[in-house]
Amino acid sequence: MKRIGKIKSVISSARFRVKAVAVGVTATLVAGVSACSGGGAAQPNNVISYWLWDSAQQPGYQQCANLFHKENPKLSVKITQYGWNDYWTKLTAGFIAGTAPDVFTNHLTKYPQFVDLKVLRPLDELPATKDIRDDEFQPGLGKLWTGRDGHRYGSPKDWDTVGLFYNKDMLAKAGVSADRVNQLKWNPQDGGSFEKTIAHLTVDTHGRRGDQPGFDKNHIAVYGLGGLSAGDNMAQTSWSSFAVSNGWQFMDKNPWGTHYNYGDPKLQETLKWYFGLAQKGYAPKYGAFSDSFGGYNQFAAGKAAIVEDGAWMISSYQTIKDVKWGIAPMPIGPTGHRAGPLGSLADSITTNAKNPEAAAEWVKFLSSEACQDIIAKAGVVFPARPQATQLSLQTRKAAGVDATPFADMVDNNETFFLPISSFGADISAIMTPGLQAIFIGEQPVSYLTDLNQQVNRLFQFG
Amino acid sequence: MTTLAPAEVPTSNPPAVTPAPGHKRTSIGRVIAWIVMALIMVVTLAPFYWIIRTALSSNSDLLAHPSTPYPVGFSVDSFKRVFGWQTGDAAIAAGGSGQSINFWLYLRNSIVVACLVTAGQLLFSAMAAYAFSRLKWRLRGPVFAIFLAGLMVPAIFTFLPNFVLIKELHLIDTLLGIALPGMLISPFAIFFLRQFFMTISTEVEEAALIDGASKVGIFFRLILPMSVAPLTTLGVLTYITSWNDYFWPLMVSYTDSSRVLTVALAVFKSQTPQTGPDWAGLMAATLVAALPMLVLFLVFARRIVNSIGFSGLK
Amino acid sequence: MASHVVSPAGRPTDTQTRTPSANRRRRDDTRLALIFIAPAAVGFLVFLIWPLIRGIYLSFTSFNLLTPAQFNGLDNYRRMLLDPVFWNALKVTVEYVIINIGVQTIVALVIAVLMQRLTRSMVVRGIILTPYLVSNVVAALVGLWILDTSLGIGNQLLKLIGIGPIGFFSDGPWVIPTIALVNVWRYVGYTSLLIFAGLQTIPGELYEAAKVDGSSEVQMFFRITMPLLRPILALVLIISIIGSFQVFDTVSVTTAGGPVNASRVLQFYIYDMAFGRFQFGYASALAVALLIVLVIVSFIQYRLTRAGQTDLA
Repeated sequence: MKRIGKIKSVISSARFRVKAVAVGVTATLVAGVSACSGGGAAQPNNVISYWLWDSAQQPGYQQCANLFHKENPKLSVKITQYGWNDYWTKLTAGFIAGTAPDVFTNHLTKYPQFVDLKVLRPLDELPATKDIRDDEFQPGLGKLWTGRDGHRYGSPKDWDTVGLFYNKDMLAKAGVSADRVNQLKWNPQDGGSFEKTIAHLTVDTHGRRGDQPGFDKNHIAVYGLGGLSAGDNMAQTSWSSFAVSNGWQFMDKNPWGTHYNYGDPKLQETLKWYFGLAQKGYAPKYGAFSDSFGGYNQFAAGKAAIVEDGAWMISSYQTIKDVKWGIAPMPIGPTGHRAGPLGSLADSITTNAKNPEAAAEWVKFLSSEACQDIIAKAGVVFPARPQATQLSLQTRKAAGVDATPFADMVDNNETFFLPISSFGADISAIMTPGLQAIFIGEQPVSYLTDLNQQVNRLFQFG
Repeated sequence: MTTLAPAEVPTSNPPAVTPAPGHKRTSIGRVIAWIVMALIMVVTLAPFYWIIRTALSSNSDLLAHPSTPYPVGFSVDSFKRVFGWQTGDAAIAAGGSGQSINFWLYLRNSIVVACLVTAGQLLFSAMAAYAFSRLKWRLRGPVFAIFLAGLMVPAIFTFLPNFVLIKELHLIDTLLGIALPGMLISPFAIFFLRQFFMTISTEVEEAALIDGASKVGIFFRLILPMSVAPLTTLGVLTYITSWNDYFWPLMVSYTDSSRVLTVALAVFKSQTPQTGPDWAGLMAATLVAALPMLVLFLVFARRIVNSIGFSGLK
Repeated sequence: MASHVVSPAGRPTDTQTRTPSANRRRRDDTRLALIFIAPAAVGFLVFLIWPLIRGIYLSFTSFNLLTPAQFNGLDNYRRMLLDPVFWNALKVTVEYVIINIGVQTIVALVIAVLMQRLTRSMVVRGIILTPYLVSNVVAALVGLWILDTSLGIGNQLLKLIGIGPIGFFSDGPWVIPTIALVNVWRYVGYTSLLIFAGLQTIPGELYEAAKVDGSSEVQMFFRITMPLLRPILALVLIISIIGSFQVFDTVSVTTAGGPVNASRVLQFYIYDMAFGRFQFGYASALAVALLIVLVIVSFIQYRLTRAGQTDLA
């Protein structure tokens, strides 16, 4: 009897609870459905959607968008920013489902794939952009963004290269002058003045420098060269500039080569020397710092005197407190020349853009002097037009940064193209673990021959 | 129960506990148990201390002093960035990304999505679990096995078809579009609730049946109320899982109107491949995003513990 | 106490005017069952089964996501069987699962039992769950920072007790255990809460009776708790193992598969193949392999633990 009573009281008190849940469910469903309102449907034809990933550049481009709207009252631009990792996934999903933006910032490492997948619209077929000429930009940029079929797939908007960021105080304490660091030379046999300098700048935990007797290469307090890494198929901020200044070339022709040279002896000897710097203690071994704490972090934490890094990082270095730093060009190699990899970003139009002519107007505007000057004054990147580059150098000088070593390398023809070819992602998947194995010492440098064969096989069966 | 004469009821050292020195209730076993518990607490909370320490530091000092145990360059700017009170140049100077954050909108969106998913999952999964545990029908076993197989569908298969379907239904960039796949089906929830429903004694049910209740009635008025503990547990965990979901809401939303908190706070992760995350901001964002969930849990914690206790009828 | 059972004859009108199904003591609830599983079934078919079938179909094609898929028979599977990275991924993933699930389940069980038998404190419960409130990615980033070889406080503490720096995320043998333990930290609270819910179904009287009969806590654990917990524990194990096999976020944030494939788990390889290299057909074949592994593991587990039965009801 008692049990029945208990059951009944439970049921009646629970009845209310269940009713409450039911009401709650209905309410949220209604709320959810009504929250449906608010777009997702196609943008009206006169709104151009534009995506970028670098949040630091967004204010500059928003200014350009405002200016564009003033000059073209019927058109307006909607800028959306996603971080690098999410950017490419959303873009790809957008291509598949038809929700991709009209115009987006494209990157050299991803663009060959998109060309092969035919999701980029040739700019030379649209009225506004068909007159873009290569010589309007820094030399070589236009060619980089031209496909195998001769069509232009990206309108270059900025360029970058790499150099040596050095800690002024550490160099002064070591007696290394700015002149010296601007004229460093290296070679695969003894490393030249470059290796001597970084050896002198390396300090172990007992205060001994790398070129002093009793130097303990296993306990380092400050590395002469920070950020040493295995690199990948492009090795933009690691060994590519050394290898090319040794006379090596990535491919048979660039862009759009079909035969890579990763097995070449010149690259093998370069890497033997480069990775050897870590064995000697002048640079961090693999794993001394995790990937998240690359050259820049090591420099900021005072763990490295010199770091090889790109021009795009200047604004990050400007946020480092209490460290006075300078920029030097990459060292001169056995060929007698320096070499810096020329990177670039460009704007591309997608094939599912609803109003391609309007999109082209925006792309044209982005590469025009008006917009490039705005970007130059924002001081974050080097714009693609030579004149805007000068403006950007002046802006940086006003902020206390002498970025001319980068521009000089371009002016002196000391830059080279990063490899542009099909199968970029597959090549990276082969080279990155392979290079790590060599860096760690699991494989000898001659393993590169094997890796190169795997890479070239992709082109045979492509 | 024993029917020993009272004189034999032991009053001295109860044999139930391991032999203890002296007459104290606390045995060595209990002490060890508490030590283990304390150790677990410490390991659980240690990384949180690190999160708080980083949130209260400033980014530039973090880079210079990466492993000091206390906050360096103490500042609450990171929290300001999370709530959208520090944007633009000031934020960029402090190491952030300068994006504007419409915090309360994103919070509301997260709440709506999580409520939809939790309410839907609880109700529909409970219904299905009841069918699989308490109703008698011939195909019960095979169909349950098929549903279970749904647990194992690799995520790579579901993402693109679901995305295209949501687009075809014109639900891209809507909260319902985010919630829909999770709302209807969760093999885990069905499995979980079925295991619980199986432990409910059949006698109570049969009593109600004899009283003339329908199976539907039994479900709503008997089984559900008796399962408040597992339902609450499941509800809280589902809510938290939905709250922390990142990839799918990221894909479905294109504008602020359907952006949830986790997606919005991705501005604190690294934006370019070469720069790192806004560490202080990211840690602050983690704390702020976790706080509502902690409150939710504490509110419902009692329900998780106090079951009505009908499953153990003798 | 059976006095409440009233014979049908006592209330004839009620039985006859109630729903007709009450008459059908045959108890075939098929129609009702179908109604009850309808919403879940719709979601299941649309959001899980259709993608699954499509995915299996795609595993027999070569598909780059943007142009129509081309049927290529068993080519993908042949490639998979000859692919050393695939076999390595399988091995590495299994290692991960064993460490992760082994540690996680034991610790979660201990915590759940302690929560039930030792303390009823809400604070303790709240604390246990807090790691689950942090997203996967943030947990990985925090782990990365704390355990960094040179800059992390973990290694600095180790230095104090004289152990040299350990490359938690960069030294081949350490990488998988480190990632496994980071995820144990994150999920153990969730798991223990599920087990704890299961413990609630065990009647307290059993413990009291056992205590009076003279059992120790440990004996009660093995003789009462474990057997009666079996359905829930089996569920938790199956769920955890399935989730563990699909580890992705942590790897992608900390090691990106390195060093040299030491942490290139299957899901990471699949995603890179699908969205990085646009070889969706091959990625689908890899995913089918993952599915087969999961089905086999779950089936064995389900049988071994007799998860379909319970000793309680």
